[in-house]
Order: sequence, then C-alpha cells, then structure tokens
Amino acid sequence: MARINDVGGTQGFGPIDTTDDAEPFHADWEARVVGLFNALRGQGVFNTNEFRDAIESMEPREYLSTSYYERWFLAICALLERKGVLKPGELEGLDG
Amino acid sequence: MAEDRFPPGTRVRTFHHDPPHHTRLPRYARGKRGVVVEPEGPAELADVSAQGRADAPVEQIYAVRFAARDLWGEGDHHVVLDLWESYLEEDPADER
Amino acid sequence: MSGDHSDAAVARRVRRLETLLEEKGVLSGARLDEIIDASLSGASPANGARVVARAWLDAGFKARLLADGTAAVRELGFMEGSYQRLRVVENTDSVHNVVVCTLCSCYPLRLLGPSPSWYKSEAYRSRVVREPRAVLAEFGLDLPADTEITVWDSSAETRYMVLPARPLGTEDLGEERLAALVTRNALIGTAAV
Repeated sequence: MARINDVGGTQGFGPIDTTDDAEPFHADWEARVVGLFNALRGQGVFNTNEFRDAIESMEPREYLSTSYYERWFLAICALLERKGVLKPGELEGLDG
Repeated sequence: MAEDRFPPGTRVRTFHHDPPHHTRLPRYARGKRGVVVEPEGPAELADVSAQGRADAPVEQIYAVRFAARDLWGEGDHHVVLDLWESYLEEDPADER
Repeated sequence: MSGDHSDAAVARRVRRLETLLEEKGVLSGARLDEIIDASLSGASPANGARVVARAWLDAGFKARLLADGTAAVRELGFMEGSYQRLRVVENTDSVHNVVVCTLCSCYPLRLLGPSPSWYKSEAYRSRVVREPRAVLAEFGLDLPADTEITVWDSSAETRYMVLPARPLGTEDLGEERLAALVTRNALIGTAAV
C-alpha cells in the first residue's frame, strides 16, 4: 500500500512557501539530529534505505504534523529500538 | 551490467507494484507507460535493502521518461523517474 | 504522536538520546560535533555555480558535464569519493528542467548546499510533478507557453542539477563574475539563472 510520504500528485497541500531559510537549521537540535544520523549510519547501525523506511512507516497523521527533522529523530529512535540498541520506553525513562 | 535489459529508447511499462514495504516506485507512476532515457548505474534494490537484509539484489536503474498525459490524463510536461529494473517490463506492443 | 512538539521538548529528547548512546558506548559527544561539521563543510551553491560558469565558458567541459556529471565535477574537485551519481540537465530555448524528490528530499547537497525548506515540503513535492508551470510561476518564473518542461524526480541514487541557460549580455564576463550570477534556485530549476 502506498505510504504517506508518497505525495507526488496529491491534492490539497496548498501554495508553496518559497521564502529561503536564513539558516540550514532552525534550532541546534536539528543539526544534532543530522549528526546522529550520519554517525549511526557511518557505524552501520542502519542504512539509508532502512532510515527512509522508518520515516515512511510513521502513521500518516503523525508524518504530516511533524517537522522534517523531528521525523528524522523519530525514525532514528524507532530504528535504535528495532535494532535493540534502545529498550522500548528507555528514552522516556519508562523502562524500569 | 553486461547488457542492459532495456536499452535507451525502449518503451517500458511499470508494474502495478504496491508492496507493504518500502519501495521507490511512486504511486503516480505505477502501471504507466514510459520510454527509457538511459541507464543510471546499478545499485542494491531499495525495497530489499530497506528491510535490513544482506541479500539485496543489485539491479540496473533506468531513467524513464513519462508524458504527463500518460500519468494523469492531462498536461504538456514530462516526468523522468529513476526506476529499478524489477519495477519495469517491456511495453507490450499489441496492447498499444 | 501526542505530546509536545516544541523545540524545547524535542531538544530535551535529542539530548537525552545522545546521553544514552554515549553511556552505552555507541557514540562519543566530541565525535558528534566533528560529524556535524563534516556533513555540511564545503557544501554550498557556490560549488554548483562554479560548475555552471565553467560549462558556459568551456564547450568541452560542458559536453563532459552533460555526458557524465560525476566525472566532470570531480575535475573541479567536487563529489570526490561520493557513491552518488550526478546528472546535469541543460536548459535550452525550448526545454526547462526542474528537480524534485517526491518520496523524500534527495538533493545534491555538496553542490547546492543545504536544501531549502520548500524543497522538502509536501506542497512542492506533491505539486511540481503534477503542475510544474503553476509551481514555477509561484517562484516568479513564467515560462513561454511553447517551452517544454521536464521534471526530474530523484527516486534512486542519482542526484540532479540543472545547467541554466547563460543569460544574454554576459559575453565579456569571466568565470567568477558568471558564477556570481547563478542562484541556488536556478540549480534546482525554480529560477531561470
């Protein structure tokens, strides 16, 4: 089944905000997330295709309401849990 | 690749490929007719690599040009997509 | 996802993840800073602009660029060691090119610098393949009716860059002055130059 990221030709997203960004990252945590992505990928914890898959597997409502780099962060967390690097709930401190 | 299955100029059709997993054939281009522009170079099939599997087949990727009219029934422009070989079949001449 | 999407909340969670990964020996904080710097360092639209200016001045380079973008930009020291393939597509009197990644946000970072938010937006990704002329008009680019538009959707390993048409009246300009004319948006295809 087609996933929520597959938006080519989908109606309703409205006009494009064509203004340029003042900076590549709007907040420092965004740069940290990109660094985390590159570091973990570089170490072979996951590959780029797995990472894209993790983003796309988000529930549609979540995907559409989350900012670009927060999606990256959520995907990284999901992959780390799937790979057993993080225990479920560990990031929230709920793992006992 | 020793010999590409779809040389430039070949008329191809994308499969109605609708898997439950990651893929790089967008919904708007499934089951559509196009023409091969040229090979883009082989790579591991993203569909398999995204599942963290080590056995992803390496396939040729082709730049395939689609007329907007063939994608959406209207439009004067063209869209070129880079598609793995297993997304494609030769466009059956007798159905044209 | 319910919960706080605010910058502060996400920043806390990112910090917590970094701490956890350090505790587990998966990461070291110092290395992360280096990795952040390395991922962006040297990536700039000035690179793509230089490639364009060289192509405008040197017909042989232009031919090599269009035939094998990856090899040609390496002549100028770009994209060395990159696994990605670069394809450069040329704007002419009759054809205008524009690039997108409808499925995510693939982009030739090294040559264009960090991608703008609009390139990553659902609005751009959904509409440029379907109604490119209207999208380009939103960027202030009104193309003649008889100009054909080709949209390149970066759905695999190749990254795309547009070679804009050289503006008229630039015959006397050297490479540096020519490069200064080239905007990042022109390299994506949402501006003429």
